[in-house]
Amino acid sequence: MTKTNVNQGAKLFNQEVVREIEAQKERWKKETVKGKTGDGEYFSDSGIPVNLLYTPDDIKELNYMKDIGLSGEAPYVRGVYPNMYRGRLFTVRQIAGYGTPEDTNDRFKFLLKNGATGTSVVLDLPTIRGYDSDDPEAEGHVGAAGVAIDSLEDIEALYDGIPIDEISSNIVTHLPSTTVVIMAMFAAMAEKKGIPFEKLSGTNQNDFLMETAIGSSLEVLPPKASFRLQCDAIEFASKNLPRWNPVSYNGYNLREAGTDAVAEVACALANAIATSEELIRRGNKIDDFAKRLSFFWNLYNDFFEEIAKCRASRVVYQEIMKERFKAEEMKSQLMRFHVQTAGITLTKVEPLNNIARSAIQGLAAVLGGAQSLHVDSYDEAYSAPTEESALISIRTQQIIQTETNVVNTVDPLAGSYFVEYLTKEMAQRIRDYISEIESRGGLVACVDSGWLHREIADFAYQTQKDIENGTRKIVGLNYFPSEEHAGQKVEVFRYPETAEAKQKEKLKRLRQKRDAKKVEEKLNVIREMCHKDVNLMPYIKDAVLEYATLGEIEEVFREEFGLWQFPLA
Amino acid sequence: MNEASSYFEKKSDVILGKLLKEVENQTANSIEILRESSARKGTAHIVGITGPPGSGKSTLVNKLCKTLAKSGIEIGIVAVDPTSPFTKGALLGDRTRMQELSGLSNVFIKSLATRGNLGGLAPTTADIVQVLDAYGKELIIIETVGVGQIEFDVLEIADTVVLVNVPGLGDSLQTLKAGIMEIADIYVVNQADRPGADESVRDLKMMVREKLQENWEQPVLKTIATNNEGMIELIDQIQRHKEFLLHSNRWDEKRKTRNLTRLNHLMIQSLNNEVDSYIRRKQGIQIKIQQVKEGKLDPYTLSDHIVEQLIKKHGGM
Amino acid sequence: MQIKVVMAKLGLDIHWRGALVVSRMLRDEGMEVVYLGNQFPEQIVEAAIQEGADVIGLSTLGGNHLTLGPKVVKLAREKGVDALVIMGGVIPEDDIPLLKEAGIAEVFGPETKVESIATFIREHVGKTIG
Repeated sequence: MTKTNVNQGAKLFNQEVVREIEAQKERWKKETVKGKTGDGEYFSDSGIPVNLLYTPDDIKELNYMKDIGLSGEAPYVRGVYPNMYRGRLFTVRQIAGYGTPEDTNDRFKFLLKNGATGTSVVLDLPTIRGYDSDDPEAEGHVGAAGVAIDSLEDIEALYDGIPIDEISSNIVTHLPSTTVVIMAMFAAMAEKKGIPFEKLSGTNQNDFLMETAIGSSLEVLPPKASFRLQCDAIEFASKNLPRWNPVSYNGYNLREAGTDAVAEVACALANAIATSEELIRRGNKIDDFAKRLSFFWNLYNDFFEEIAKCRASRVVYQEIMKERFKAEEMKSQLMRFHVQTAGITLTKVEPLNNIARSAIQGLAAVLGGAQSLHVDSYDEAYSAPTEESALISIRTQQIIQTETNVVNTVDPLAGSYFVEYLTKEMAQRIRDYISEIESRGGLVACVDSGWLHREIADFAYQTQKDIENGTRKIVGLNYFPSEEHAGQKVEVFRYPETAEAKQKEKLKRLRQKRDAKKVEEKLNVIREMCHKDVNLMPYIKDAVLEYATLGEIEEVFREEFGLWQFPLA
Repeated sequence: MNEASSYFEKKSDVILGKLLKEVENQTANSIEILRESSARKGTAHIVGITGPPGSGKSTLVNKLCKTLAKSGIEIGIVAVDPTSPFTKGALLGDRTRMQELSGLSNVFIKSLATRGNLGGLAPTTADIVQVLDAYGKELIIIETVGVGQIEFDVLEIADTVVLVNVPGLGDSLQTLKAGIMEIADIYVVNQADRPGADESVRDLKMMVREKLQENWEQPVLKTIATNNEGMIELIDQIQRHKEFLLHSNRWDEKRKTRNLTRLNHLMIQSLNNEVDSYIRRKQGIQIKIQQVKEGKLDPYTLSDHIVEQLIKKHGGM
Repeated sequence: MQIKVVMAKLGLDIHWRGALVVSRMLRDEGMEVVYLGNQFPEQIVEAAIQEGADVIGLSTLGGNHLTLGPKVVKLAREKGVDALVIMGGVIPEDDIPLLKEAGIAEVFGPETKVESIATFIREHVGKTIG
């Protein structure tokens, strides 16, 4: 029997049994619980009402093969791969990135020597926001929260001696404007080394929401321009870098900024919809690029809701890709996602409690079928993780992987009346939120008008009020408040402060030795192409090959696309 | 030379900031500052920018002033946001949309909260504008609250009123029709890259034709402030309106009317204060007020009585 | 007297949640809050001058508190602005004495009740600091 032969009408439970349960449940409410169910008073984090008891009648509409199915098959509720963690354990990612590219290169080599299977790098704020290290706006930030990248020279130094044709390279680029430049530099480096593009594998983040809604900055590109760059990177990768994941739709940071779990997933999916529409408009086929789209979720403490969210997000994505965009290939319909535990749930009081929180969230990620996981360190409310706290994060993941046995069977919570009910409910709420976004003209319009910013701000404001008035309880903070002084001493990680001077010196030399005329020429081509309906990536690659800097290219974007005023307050 | 006068001689942003703070808070010192600034009123062109929420007023002001500032003229911007009627607090966010203007030495921005005023401006807006004018600003832009209600206050203060609209705000156009629609001097359809822009322009032009001002046909412009499109045209029209005002004597008339309005406002304010302090002091009147409250005495009789007593006290009539 | 606060994200710091939530809640406490978005010290002090701010609020999670925070106080005092300068965000405990020495009146961590920030402001506004 093939999957297409599924009996579409077959329900999970025999309807006679359901009727019997419904009748018994009414009796039970009256006689056993004596009416005191408390239903209507309990809610999940995103406001779904939670009943005292779940039974088959709560999920009586479900058709097992159609709505849940088997692992590795549509609708992928149970997981995107047939044998899930038996086939491949979730990837333990450890991010590096500080100081100069040379500093981070040393760290890469250290990690690889000690068993890491790929590199993962974060960039400093000036790089993310498109400023060179010698820009006055970069002052105080160079090499601080990530590595500084100014030109192709820096990318070459960062990956010096790293086998980029053998291991995967994760680059946390955040913004599309950063992504197009860094991706172009990465490709240019491979070109110079004679490595064919097919051998490059890796991921970058590339989400226009990050550029225009989630993070604020001094100079912001208009949403339309940022979205165009996001699509340029995805299109370029789908045509040239077949093993590259050119986008990780960032529900994570959206949630940190202020949304519930429903909006987190819905906005990321709305972005995937907008991307697909745009790439199809440009003449691509859905199956050309959909298999390279990936997602990034944030898991809070509401254990079952977060697991249900992971499961529900896969169903809704499959529906969208299959039904709306007529994707044919299986790989175009399955949602792969990375999880990071929720930084915002960590407390500064009694920081060791955060180890428990992160472990619970990490466990939810694995029960939700995540492809890779980053467990936050307990000291995040103080600073970037120290070596000790980072090790505890890795150990937490290893404990989940090996000691708990939860990875031994696929999607172990399936069939729980409550989890299946929540999954169904989350999926519906995600669909509704996507409809809301589309009724307002789609995600780009929702950002442009400031609607999404208001949604985020309202949520963050309400959350803070709920914490201050005690509606939302946080252990050690407003529930059994800690006796200890809130700001107890924790050893903090200090970045090297020499990066700024070193990068400035390198830039000075670079500007002297490169062919200034050629750089200007290539920048002018980008300038011209900004106003044409073309993919900017090839032109950016040409410019970085002449050692045009990241700041120079992004200045062209700012001049040509104009600056957009962040619609806040 | 008194103290306030010397402040006006110095021309520094730090001092201007301090003067405006006194005026904004209506402190005891503010009377002296206003008296001094009244004598020093300059020749600033005062432009009011109004329009419904979401029409992109702040962004328009941002781009407009960015272009204008290049010529080196001294610009003052007064941006008004609403005060919460419940908490008396306010979140003034217009500056976030004017970030491109920060660092320009010839642009001075003051954010004001409405502090209970209902006409779209803060109670001290006219005073603030007067001080900016006296301080040598050549162009003063007032951005009204724009919460949807008809904002007439700006008409009293501004020489030129620009009404900003966006395509597809049909309903708000209806409400505006009744009021300010008839009195604006320049109409702008912002975000003109949205569908429906041409229809909005056509509707506005029709409306303008019905309400033509004497010797001034109100222009209807299309702008896309976010892309800096249409700013030069808007600046031209603002300038053209200024010249029209100057040549037709309206410039002076407006100032004369404004002086009288100001006198009226001040008289009413003084009278209110006088009445307040008088009735608070008189126990007998307090008792009668209580009787009015309980419906035992009619308010007309008591009101006449209080005014009579007050005038007698000042030896009038 | 109505208290006027100028609130800014310091430099390139990207996280606006805290700054905006605190701004809204100070509004609820009856203050007038001018939200600047991201700005560097020169522009923050310029805005404080123009707005006649009683308080300058700086928010940062990006690790630039030591490089840019004291600069705000220094520039403000040079220009004769006596506004209370306070800071919030993720700031290591060891750095707080350094910030206070530089004239930052108080540093509020991630779990501060906004109510207590408002109380601090009311108690300290008008008293020239540093």
